[in-house]
Amino acid sequence: MTNEPAASPTDTPVDVARDVSTPATRGWWARYSSTSPITLTVLALILGVVIGAFIIMVTSAPILDSWRYSFHHLGSIGSTLKLTFDTVAAAYRAMVTGSIIDPTLFFHSISTGQGWDQTLTPISETLTYATPLVIASIGVGIAFQTGIFNIGANGQAILGAIAGTAMASMIHLPMIVHLPLTLIAGILGGAVCGMVPGVLKAYTGAHEVIVTLMFNYVVNAILIYVLTSTALQLPGQSNDISRNFDSTATLNPLFGTKSGLRVSYGIFVAAAVVIFAIWFLKRSSLGFDFRITGANPNAARASGINPKTIVLTVFLVSGGLSGLAGIVQAASTTHYIDGGFLIGSAGIGFTAITIALLGRLQPIGIVWGSLLFAALGVGGRAMQAATGIPLDLATIIQSVVVLFVASPVLITEIFRLRSSAESFQLANKGWGS
Amino acid sequence: MTTLDTTTAITSTPKLREPVGRRRIIGILTVILGLFILLAFGVGSAAGAHSQFTFTPVNTSSGAPWHLAPLTLLTRWSNIVLGLITILVGVETWVRRPAGALVRFGVGGVLFFIALLLWSCRQPGPAPVSSLNFTSVLIGSLSIAMVLIYGSLSGVLCERAGVVNIAIEGQFIGGALAGAMIDSVTNSFWLAALVGILVGALIGWLLALLAVRYVADQIIIGVVIVTLMGSISSYLNIQVLAPYPNLNVGNNASNVAIPLISKIPIVGPALFNETMFFYAAIVLVALISFGLFRTRWGLRVRSVGEHPKAAESVGISVARVRYSTVILGGAVAGLGGVAFIAVQGQFQPGITSGYGYIALAAMIFGKWKPSGAVVASLLFGVSAYLVDALQNENVPIPTEFMTMFPYLVTIAVVAGLIGRVRPPASDGVPYKRD
Repeated sequence: MTNEPAASPTDTPVDVARDVSTPATRGWWARYSSTSPITLTVLALILGVVIGAFIIMVTSAPILDSWRYSFHHLGSIGSTLKLTFDTVAAAYRAMVTGSIIDPTLFFHSISTGQGWDQTLTPISETLTYATPLVIASIGVGIAFQTGIFNIGANGQAILGAIAGTAMASMIHLPMIVHLPLTLIAGILGGAVCGMVPGVLKAYTGAHEVIVTLMFNYVVNAILIYVLTSTALQLPGQSNDISRNFDSTATLNPLFGTKSGLRVSYGIFVAAAVVIFAIWFLKRSSLGFDFRITGANPNAARASGINPKTIVLTVFLVSGGLSGLAGIVQAASTTHYIDGGFLIGSAGIGFTAITIALLGRLQPIGIVWGSLLFAALGVGGRAMQAATGIPLDLATIIQSVVVLFVASPVLITEIFRLRSSAESFQLANKGWGS
Repeated sequence: MTTLDTTTAITSTPKLREPVGRRRIIGILTVILGLFILLAFGVGSAAGAHSQFTFTPVNTSSGAPWHLAPLTLLTRWSNIVLGLITILVGVETWVRRPAGALVRFGVGGVLFFIALLLWSCRQPGPAPVSSLNFTSVLIGSLSIAMVLIYGSLSGVLCERAGVVNIAIEGQFIGGALAGAMIDSVTNSFWLAALVGILVGALIGWLLALLAVRYVADQIIIGVVIVTLMGSISSYLNIQVLAPYPNLNVGNNASNVAIPLISKIPIVGPALFNETMFFYAAIVLVALISFGLFRTRWGLRVRSVGEHPKAAESVGISVARVRYSTVILGGAVAGLGGVAFIAVQGQFQPGITSGYGYIALAAMIFGKWKPSGAVVASLLFGVSAYLVDALQNENVPIPTEFMTMFPYLVTIAVVAGLIGRVRPPASDGVPYKRD
C-alpha cells in the first residue's frame, strides 16, 4: 500500500490492494481487466458461448446416455468426456466455418483457384444479414443517444418495406431513378410510422415505449391487410404475398447473379448510413442538440433547444433509418415481401435494440455488433445443417450476451474486474418518469 | 378508484388534458361507432337476411338440463336498432359529458361485438341453415380473457412495485412449456401448475436480479427475456419434445362444474363450468386487489413503486419488496402459461402469439389496477377470440383491424385521447441507495 502512489484516481482502495499483491500484472492486463466496453463484450460473449455449450450438453440424448453409462462404468468416463467435447466442438466449429470461412475450402480455392463462390458464401451471407441490422441499429442508437427509447424499429422497418415495395413493384422507371425512389419511399414509410409515437409524445406526453411497442403489432396487422389488398398482392394469389420488385428497383448482388453470392450493393447503403451517422452525431448541429438532450434534458431546454422539435426530429431520423433497413432487406434478398416479413423471430427491430446496446450506441461499435449477431445467426443455420442442433441456440447465445452487456455490474462482479472511467451504463428510463 | 385518486392528486402534472374535452371526444367516438354499426352491419346486409343464435353449449357432458330455443333475427333491422342505440348513447355522452363516459363507450363496444356476430352468421334466405353458438363464443372469449387476466395481474404486481415487466410473454412461454411437459409425464395439472409457478417465479427472479440488483434497463431486459424464452422453447421443441412425443401429449384440464349455478342458461356453462385455472384467476384478482389496496403489504408495494426514497426513509427495504413482488408477479404469469396450455393442449413454439403483450396492453388500459385489468382483459379477450373465429368470414371490417384493436385503444388511452392513465411514479426507475 505504501509504495503505490495513487496509480489512478479512479481506483478504489480494494483494487489498489490487489495491484500491490501482483505488481507484475500492471500494464496490458490491468487495462484489459478493467471494465472497458471491449472487455465487457468479449466476456459476455464467452459467457454466452459457455452457457450455449451447457445447453447442448444437457439436451443432447447421446451425451446424456453416455453419462448415464459411465455413471455405472467409471472406466468409460474418458470416452464420455470426449463425446461431450466433440459434440460441442463440432457445433461451434460449424458455427464459425458456416459464418466466416471454412479453412479447408479456403486452402482448396487458394491452391486450385477454383470454387471461390463456395468458399466465400459464408462471409457473403453474414454481410447480407448484417446490412439491414447496421442501418436499423444506427437508427435505434441515435434515438437512444437522445434519451428516447424507440422499441418500434420493427414496425417502422415493415412500414418502410411496404412503402418501398409499392414504389418498386407498381411504378416502372429506369433504374437510375427507380432504385433511389424505392429507397426514399422506404425512408418515408418508416419516418411516417415513427412520427406516430413522436407526435403523441410531443403533444400529449404519451410514453414512447408504450406507443412504439403497441404500434409494432398494429403494423403487423397493416402488413397482412396490405398484402391481401388488390393493389399490392401478387396477381393470381390468395396468400399474403406482394408483387415482385421490378428488376430496376433491386439492390443487385455485387458479383452478379451468376456467382450465387448474395452480398449486394446494400452494403454501400449501410456504409453511407454509417458515415452519415458519424457526421451527424459528431459534426452537425442537430446531432449536437440530440446528444445534449440525451445527456441532460434540463440543460438542453435551458439553452433554448425545443424539446418538442427534438422528439419529432429524432423519430423522423430513427424511423426513417429503420424504414430504410426494411426496404434494403427486401430489395437485396427476396425482392418481394410476404406475411412473414420481419414477423416474430425474423424481426430485426428487437435485434437492433440489442445491437445498439452492444455497440454502445456508437456507429462503429454498431457495425461490429451487427457483424457479430449476423455471424451468429448465419452460423446457427450452418450448425443446424451440419449437426442437427437447432439454430435457436444462436438466438439463445445472442440473448445471453445482451443480458450480460445490459448489466455490466454483473460481469464486473463475476470476473472481479476493476471499474474504469470508461464503463458504460445505458441511462435507465422507466414509464413512470 | 378512490385509493388511486388520492395518489394521483399529489403528483398530477398540469399538462394533462381537461376531462370535459375528453368526454366529448368519447361521445363523438361512440357516435362514429354507432354509425358504423348502422351502415356497415345494418344497411350493409341484404334485406331478407336472417341471423340465428343458438345457446345450448356444444359440449353438454355436464348435463345441462335446459334447452333454449334458437333465436332468429332479421339481420338488417336488428343491427339498425343496435346502431341507433349506440348513436343515442354517444349523443348523450357528447352533449351531457357524464362522469361515466368510458362506461358508455364500453356499452357501445359490446353492442358492436353483438352486431358483428349477427352480421357474421347471417344467411340470405328466410330459413337459416347454419347458426352461431352464442355460448361457444362466450366460452372461447373467456378462455383467452383468463390468460390475459393472469398476465395483466402479473404486470400490475411488478409495476406497482416499480419494475416494468415486459417479460410477461416470456413467463407465459416458460409456464406453458413446463406445464405441458409436467402434465404429460405426471398426468396431473396440479403438479403442472406448481412447476409452472416455479418456472415463472424463476424468470421473475432473473428480471428482479438484473433490474433491482444490477440496475440494468428494465425495458431492454424484458425484451431480451422474451427473446430468450422464445428461442429456448423453440430449441427444446426440436431437441427434446420432437424425439420424445410422450413429453407433449396435449391433455386439456377437465372442467369442474359448480353445482346448481352451472345450470343457469348461457352464463352457467361459460362461467361456472370451467377449469380450476379459471376459478383460480378470479380468486387471484380478488386477492391481489385486496392485498394491494387494503393491506400493509400492499401499501409497502405501492409506496416502493411511487416514491422509493420515502419508503426507504421509513424503514422499508426497497430492494426486498421489489424482489419479492417481481418474483410473485412472475409466478402469476407462469401459472397463466399453464392455464393457457390447459385450454390449448399441445405446446408449440410461438403458441402464446403475443398474448403477453396484449396482457401488457390490458394492464395499461386497466390503469395499473387489478379490477381495471380484468375489464380490459375481457374486452381484449372477446376481440382476440373474434379475430380467430371470424378469420374466414367475409366481414366488412377486415379482421386485421380487429387484431389492432387492443393496441390502438391502449395507445389512445396512453395519449389521453380517451380516458387518462398514469403509471406508478417510479415505474421502471431503478432505485440506488446513496
